[in-house]
Amino acid sequence: MELKIALAGNPNCGKTTLFNDLTGSNQYVGNWPGVTVEKKEGKLKKHKGVTIQDLPGIYSLSPYTLEEVVARGYLVNEKPDAILNIVDGTNIERNLYLTTQLIELGLPVVVAVNMIDLVRKNGDKIDLAKLGAALGCEVVEMSALKGEGGMAAAERAIAVAQQYQHQELPHVFTGSVEHALAHIEESISGRVDARNLRWYAIKLFERDAKVEEELALDESLKQHLQAHIADCETELDDDAESIITNQRYAYISKVVDSAVKKKAAKHSLSTSDKIDRFVTNRILALPIFVGVMWLVYTIAIGTLGDFLTGWTNDTLFGEMILGSLRDWMVGAEMAPWLVGLVVDGIVAGVGAVIGFVPQMLVLFLMLSMLEDCGYMARVAFIMDRIFRKVGLSGKSFIPMLVASGCGVPGVMASRTIENDRDRKMTIMTTCFIPCGAKMPIIALFAGALFGGSGWVAVSAYFIGVAAVIVSGIMLKKTKLFAGDPAPFVMELPAYHVPSASNVLHATWERGWSFIKRAGTVILASSVILWFLQSFGVVDGVFGMVDDNNTSLLASIGRVVAPIFAPLGFGGWQAAVATFTGLIAKENVVGTFGVLYGFAEVAEDGAEIWSLLAADFTRLSAYSFMVFNLLCAPCFAAMGAIKREMNSPRWTFIAIGYMCGFAYVISLIVYQLGLLFTGGGFGIGAVVAVALVALLCWLLARKPQHELAARTGAKLKD
Amino acid sequence: MMPLAMAKAGERVVIRKITGKDEVRQHLAELGFVVDGTITVVSELSGNLILQVKDSRIALDKTMANRIMI
Repeated sequence: MELKIALAGNPNCGKTTLFNDLTGSNQYVGNWPGVTVEKKEGKLKKHKGVTIQDLPGIYSLSPYTLEEVVARGYLVNEKPDAILNIVDGTNIERNLYLTTQLIELGLPVVVAVNMIDLVRKNGDKIDLAKLGAALGCEVVEMSALKGEGGMAAAERAIAVAQQYQHQELPHVFTGSVEHALAHIEESISGRVDARNLRWYAIKLFERDAKVEEELALDESLKQHLQAHIADCETELDDDAESIITNQRYAYISKVVDSAVKKKAAKHSLSTSDKIDRFVTNRILALPIFVGVMWLVYTIAIGTLGDFLTGWTNDTLFGEMILGSLRDWMVGAEMAPWLVGLVVDGIVAGVGAVIGFVPQMLVLFLMLSMLEDCGYMARVAFIMDRIFRKVGLSGKSFIPMLVASGCGVPGVMASRTIENDRDRKMTIMTTCFIPCGAKMPIIALFAGALFGGSGWVAVSAYFIGVAAVIVSGIMLKKTKLFAGDPAPFVMELPAYHVPSASNVLHATWERGWSFIKRAGTVILASSVILWFLQSFGVVDGVFGMVDDNNTSLLASIGRVVAPIFAPLGFGGWQAAVATFTGLIAKENVVGTFGVLYGFAEVAEDGAEIWSLLAADFTRLSAYSFMVFNLLCAPCFAAMGAIKREMNSPRWTFIAIGYMCGFAYVISLIVYQLGLLFTGGGFGIGAVVAVALVALLCWLLARKPQHELAARTGAKLKD
Repeated sequence: MMPLAMAKAGERVVIRKITGKDEVRQHLAELGFVVDGTITVVSELSGNLILQVKDSRIALDKTMANRIMI
């Protein structure tokens, strides 16, 4: 028998941990609300035919955020065979608010009280039998983190799904509300699935727009029901939604009072709150944040990461693999083209990327630790007032932080932002933050032209952040993004010691996707690139060429190269690298590896450096770096943008904006750089100065919507 | 009555009234902000607040905190 069991619960209550436990899959678990933004399916271990559905965390079944829409749509329309409701035992009152709504759906529900270990540690007691009797469903206890009771809870859900008897719903509502609800039920029975009757009745009472639209009741019935609702509102002197909420909470606190015994006095501050008083303190909050970030990036990119990457690049790939592989292949008298393909194409291209894996892993490890202990969620709070000044909300910080690993999950993380404008703005600016794949570009140029100075990496992050700020202010003033950012409301998880398995898992997950790309996309494009640059037409004959300046790739590159000439990198190699960067940003480095490694036999990384240094000046290298950091992200991230924007027009606006912005900034950097280093005042400088003036005007002008409002007022006068 | 944004860190207060648009109020209610409920101010950062509400911690910005009257 095929069974579907949905996991539902508040954000950050442990659904995904349980999901991984039950299905043996490896979904990413984070310690902030909104990690699961899409529903995910998996097969239950050791039980044939049982599918577990992980839903995004929700506070209620009203459609306030996108996650709530996704979860509600699934529960109401697709009707799983049973709902396993995960309830955070340490915050049972708030969690039961959703539980009562799930029960009203009329589907079999099993409530699993999670984090029971913490409940016990706090000295609290939850009477499961009493709770179950009051709610009218089965209640079990579990600890997802410790792996206790999860499978038992799932098995209870299966049992309930197989032999479900309709139980009487708990008496949540009283007096005239119950009366009105019964009346609505009577009028719509037969129009909706009998099991969902109560749920639909409550939603109609609350005047839920989506349900009203779905049922399309005729006008006279609507008005009849309206009269009943209005009566209730006058009697209780409140609006319908608040009436429902208040009665729900009143019912829940009655249930909790009888079934839960707390040891600590009510409202006493927990250890987590005491940490918060220090970490989010009005004086210390920012210095602590800056200190933490400085530490993370110094370790990841400076000291430890730099050492590891240096070793992998120079020793492992440079000397051990590349050198000995070539010797061996030549010694075995293999065809020159095969040696070329393997050594110059595959190893040089993929190796250039793999070399950065250790650095990435260190960075991911530290970010995962910060995330798992609960600090990241506080960062959103601390950053809110700063982000607000540039027209973003503190919640935009999390997507951007995630994007410093990879833009794809970064863009997806923007889904937790409820406000449509804020979300679009975040999607458009998130990819400006240098992602992990852009780090090799930075490191390559820092090494080749800037003597390995750490300031190049720092300035790259600074440029990313500045691009976000400048874009935020500029875009906010256009008509597209008019209006105040949405208010900031966010639940903060309790601090806890990071769990080793979670941290390692999150690190590995992010690192692995990086490695996987090196093995697939980058491998394939390295081979294609190698082919294009090794073959060409010389004197009318097609064949392998010695000098890659006569290759097919050079011909293609020369066509597009003039576009980049004003930015200082008009060579065909740089043009090709920029375009292969669209496939994956790591490719930029891989491409240089293949292109420059060819002629001169790259014995170690430094060999490419000197060749690069010959083709670039410091200024043009910096301009190239800026352009590649800011322009359209890789295809994968563009795909994510398209999915999240869900509109061809907005996707076009976002990607077009990024490319245009990158071009303008690179041009300004290069042309003004030339001017100040004594390059003379030419047409390029004139354009650059004009662009700077335009940017300043866009930054300083009055917001368009205010202007429109004012002229509108004038017209009225 | 005064807006919650004026409360100091460490204060424990009772909600008297919640104003604002329906959907915002509804979301606040889902998070546990209901009239007559008790909340504790854990931390305050230029009007933005971290609050203890029914055993959980919720961060609110000043605009939101101004909608909750205590």
